[in-house]
Amino acid sequence: MRKRRLAALPLVGAALVLGIFAATATGSGKKATSGGVFRLGTASGIDSLNPYVAFNQDAYSTFEYIYPVLVQLNSHLHYAPFFARSWKSSNGGKTWTFKTQPHAKWSDGKPLTAADAAWTINTDIKYQKGGAANEAGLIAHIKNATAPNATTLVVHYKQAAGNVLGQFQQFFILPKHIWAQHIGNKGTGLKTFANPAPVVGSGPFNLVKYTKNQITIFQPNPTYWGPKPKVAEFGLQQYTSDDAMVEALKTGRLDAIEAVPATTMKTLRSAGFVVSKVPGLDQTDFIINSNPKKKHHRELLNLKVKEAFDHAIDRKKIVSVTFLGAARPANSIIPATTGSWHNPHIKTVSFNLKLANHILDKLGYKKGPGGIRVAHGQKMSYNVITPTDVQSIPRTFQILQTDFAKIGVQLKQQALDSTTAFTKMSGPNNTYQGFDLAMWDWTALIDPDFMLSVVTCAQYGGWSDTGFCNKHYDKMYSQQQLTPNQTKRRQIVWKMQSYLYKQRPYLWLANDDSVSAVSKKWAGFKNTPQGPFNELNISTLTQVHQK
Amino acid sequence: MRGTDYVLKRVGFAIVTVFVAVTINFVLFRLAPGTAVSNLSRVPHATQQLRHALEVQFGLDKSKWQQYVIYLKQLAHGNLGISYENEQPVSTNLRIALINTLPMVTLGTVFAIVFGTFTGVIAAWRRGTKTEGLTVSSALGFYAMPTQWLGLMLIIIFAGVLPTGGMTNEFLLNPPFWTHVKDLASHILLPALTLGLVLYGEYTLIVRSAMLETLGEDYILTARAKGLKPRTIVRKHALRNAMLPITTLIALSLGYIVAGAILIETVFSWPGIGRAVYEAVLQRDYPMLEGAFLVLTFSVIFFNLVADLLYFKLDPRITE
Amino acid sequence: MSEASLFVEAPPEAGTKSSRGFLLRTLRHQPAAMAGALFLVSMTVTAILAPWIAPYPLHEQVGPVFGPPSWQHLLGLDDGGIDMVTLLIWGLRTSLVVGFAATFVSMVIGGTVGVVAGYFGGGIDTVLMRITDYFLVIPDVPLMIVVAAIWGPSLFHIIIVIGILLWTSTARVLRAQVKSVRERVYVKRARALGAGHTRIVVRHVLPQVAPLLIASTVLTIAVAIFDETALSFLGLGDPSNISLGRIIENAFERAAISTGAWWAIVPPGVLVAMLILACSLVGGSLEDALNPRLRVAHLSARTFRLRPLVGRGEDAL
Repeated sequence: MRKRRLAALPLVGAALVLGIFAATATGSGKKATSGGVFRLGTASGIDSLNPYVAFNQDAYSTFEYIYPVLVQLNSHLHYAPFFARSWKSSNGGKTWTFKTQPHAKWSDGKPLTAADAAWTINTDIKYQKGGAANEAGLIAHIKNATAPNATTLVVHYKQAAGNVLGQFQQFFILPKHIWAQHIGNKGTGLKTFANPAPVVGSGPFNLVKYTKNQITIFQPNPTYWGPKPKVAEFGLQQYTSDDAMVEALKTGRLDAIEAVPATTMKTLRSAGFVVSKVPGLDQTDFIINSNPKKKHHRELLNLKVKEAFDHAIDRKKIVSVTFLGAARPANSIIPATTGSWHNPHIKTVSFNLKLANHILDKLGYKKGPGGIRVAHGQKMSYNVITPTDVQSIPRTFQILQTDFAKIGVQLKQQALDSTTAFTKMSGPNNTYQGFDLAMWDWTALIDPDFMLSVVTCAQYGGWSDTGFCNKHYDKMYSQQQLTPNQTKRRQIVWKMQSYLYKQRPYLWLANDDSVSAVSKKWAGFKNTPQGPFNELNISTLTQVHQK
Repeated sequence: MRGTDYVLKRVGFAIVTVFVAVTINFVLFRLAPGTAVSNLSRVPHATQQLRHALEVQFGLDKSKWQQYVIYLKQLAHGNLGISYENEQPVSTNLRIALINTLPMVTLGTVFAIVFGTFTGVIAAWRRGTKTEGLTVSSALGFYAMPTQWLGLMLIIIFAGVLPTGGMTNEFLLNPPFWTHVKDLASHILLPALTLGLVLYGEYTLIVRSAMLETLGEDYILTARAKGLKPRTIVRKHALRNAMLPITTLIALSLGYIVAGAILIETVFSWPGIGRAVYEAVLQRDYPMLEGAFLVLTFSVIFFNLVADLLYFKLDPRITE
Repeated sequence: MSEASLFVEAPPEAGTKSSRGFLLRTLRHQPAAMAGALFLVSMTVTAILAPWIAPYPLHEQVGPVFGPPSWQHLLGLDDGGIDMVTLLIWGLRTSLVVGFAATFVSMVIGGTVGVVAGYFGGGIDTVLMRITDYFLVIPDVPLMIVVAAIWGPSLFHIIIVIGILLWTSTARVLRAQVKSVRERVYVKRARALGAGHTRIVVRHVLPQVAPLLIASTVLTIAVAIFDETALSFLGLGDPSNISLGRIIENAFERAAISTGAWWAIVPPGVLVAMLILACSLVGGSLEDALNPRLRVAHLSARTFRLRPLVGRGEDAL
């Protein structure tokens, strides 16, 4: 009978489908031995295994675990030895000598020496306008590097640089015997090499399996020259849905989550998980187009107007509603989490609507129809560009919108994906004429050089999202970059922060915490300002172990 | 011969449509503001040189017409270009994504067709009874639910029992065969079920109305007058003749299913083609987008063609 | 969503000419469709009256984040501490606006194409049908994603893009109907008497196709609402106008399920489903009432007697 035949179909179909599925989707790698498998869930993921292509944070954290890095940042955020056991600078800071690990090997057995480090540096210098453009910022001011013997690396600078260790802390040394054959034309081959698993590297872990947008599996590296990890295997699994990820943790399919959604902190705590909240390096900001050549709405260039806006921001409310307390009010381009790089004399601007209204009144911007002020004949009504991939922004925007309305300024949200947002903000030919206000976030590094660079004139069309361009500031920037004495450098960095505080290209909103969660069955899982799985050091995953 | 004419015409039309689709896809994406370059160059440690290097590499410094010609040439060789995001061939990325989507979508569709036909026939057969009312109501109910919302509801219901994300438990390395099959089955169930429920509603209604139309035909009256049992009539005559509209409508909807899987794949973190399209849009990964659109449009055209040919084969009375 | 007719129901008595009478008569025979129509009307009224009947301000936090349902807040609070009932009312408004506006766009395009193609026939018909076929073949959700992402997710863009995708079924249905009307005697007589095309179309063709157009319109509204929720879910909805789709997306983004806040995610979905259901009921019953082939069924399992369908309205469905 037709109906019965049809009923058999789904069973046959399902069996066939699963059979084919099972045959094609096979696992790889050795079976994990005792020590357990540590499963970490993430909402972002690794976009590429090639350091010349990748730009997700998880990718950089991965490289931290599988490639040699000269120095790392310890738990006190000081530079500590890693592949380089010691270092000294000479020749007025123009020459740096690193003593590297002896008897080190790559995961395929070939020797790992200072020559690999020198090769990577020189290759990046040679192709910095081509395939190695990604790394160009890290090797700025370097003339060349040499390796007089297997454990000595000498780096020659054109000028004495102030952020040498900061740059090398992010610099991944690649195996010459693998990468030299992939250079291609003008180094473009460096970007097209997929660097597939199993990756030849040298770190506490080997990357043995990588399926994009799904899973990355690491196993301990037997040839590693440092402390062996306690865990037998660790995996990073990517989720597109926070709910699915939290459910997976709650039902035991995951052991930990990298970034816990603020709304689920309480639930996870009551479910018996260890939720760790640590001040983080991420800050959300309100951007005011500070291009001095701006044509429209020039009242936004007025420092008094920016100050009024700053007083209309209820940072306490943002912290409690958007981040449910897992954040603190922000006040500077260099977050307090960076330690002594943050200028402690900078105070958070107060939430004072009366004062804001007073400032705008004194400027003569009277309130017109609808309660919206008029400045130089134009309504103070602005589009605020927001990127759609920063989760906290929609809620924060609504808080700002409501409060700004109380000072007679109308805000309208224009949500765009990050690519379109940035294109609109920078405008054709990077003229920065196409927007007035925006919101975004920044994840700072420990060394302040990168964050300070984003408001320089040189970053037009690069990292600049404010259109800020100021000669005085640029002078201070190159000064700090070329000051080897860290104390003197710190003074300049503090001065720069005070200057920006008055110039206000950014109104800093909140510095959110890094919140992670781990099952009680595991110990040694450390959270850091950059999250548990980070680019600072390798302690989290080498120390985590089953109880 | 009229038959061959018809077939040739439909196939010819399909080919022309593919070409038009290809061109329009190219135009659509290149006219868009924002290129992958501006996104890719916002990387840590980036400088000005990077943007120019990327532009040259992806051929974005050439004129639009030149880019179009290069695109067509590559297409003729089956080369869909290189993805901006991970620098691998688009065809490889798409193939992997499709392989992931198809089992899930097939399972859901099979479920929907089987149960939809079953309930559709019952609803038509038990015309005017409570059974019919019940089946039609439930079909309508599922038909009306937003796909992503239904998926989220299933997650709420099955949270502890079934995995709520991903395709397999990737942490199992080299599992024994049956563990592997069980694992795959447990992961595919919810997304396939979501798709199946949404489609089942639609198919029930299609089958039911097709059956009722058929049951209203004169030859059914004749068959009844001849003394044939109702069950026989339904099975041997009504269902067979209702197969025509049923099959063509189902074939038509198949073409759209892959595209519709986007919502399900987002809810269940399923690494398939729907998700690939969505992420390619966010990354402005033009080669991926052009390739994915081509694949999706092609599948729709293909299934439309199949529906046309099936219709022709099943009903020789057809005229254009 | 397919073009299949959803219903097979009793037609009104033969000999009716007035469209409005036809509409009401059809609905009266089918309680479910009537209920659907009433629901739609009441939801539209609610949406229009939103500024006056919403219990709390839309942007003010009135309680804790994801506050549970209570007597003051029957459906609890969302992730910003905003009252859910208020959100649903305003969301309903935006969703209906998008649904109606997009449908209007698609009706204008589809109606024009269908009437012109059916009336003039020949070369014009072929060309228009080819264009229709091409639009049918575009994968709709991906196209909506691309357009919304590229042009920016404003309500206007969303309405246009949904409208551009939905006109094809209306065009086809109308074309068939117009073709049959064109062959009718009184039309031919009007042509013979020298009446212009416009006059014939407006005075003779349009009134005949109006019921079908209405049915098609209502069904398209259902699809437009669905498409809007899909777009919003993928983050491409207009952020300055809260819609039902955005409420679902917001809950999804802020992990409502894991927090146990089912009230943030179940009600908006139920409301969308009910809207789509209502539109489908109304539109489907109209469409089937107009389909002459569905008037008689020669077989019924219950009594195995020959029995016509006319007059069976009240206990069908």
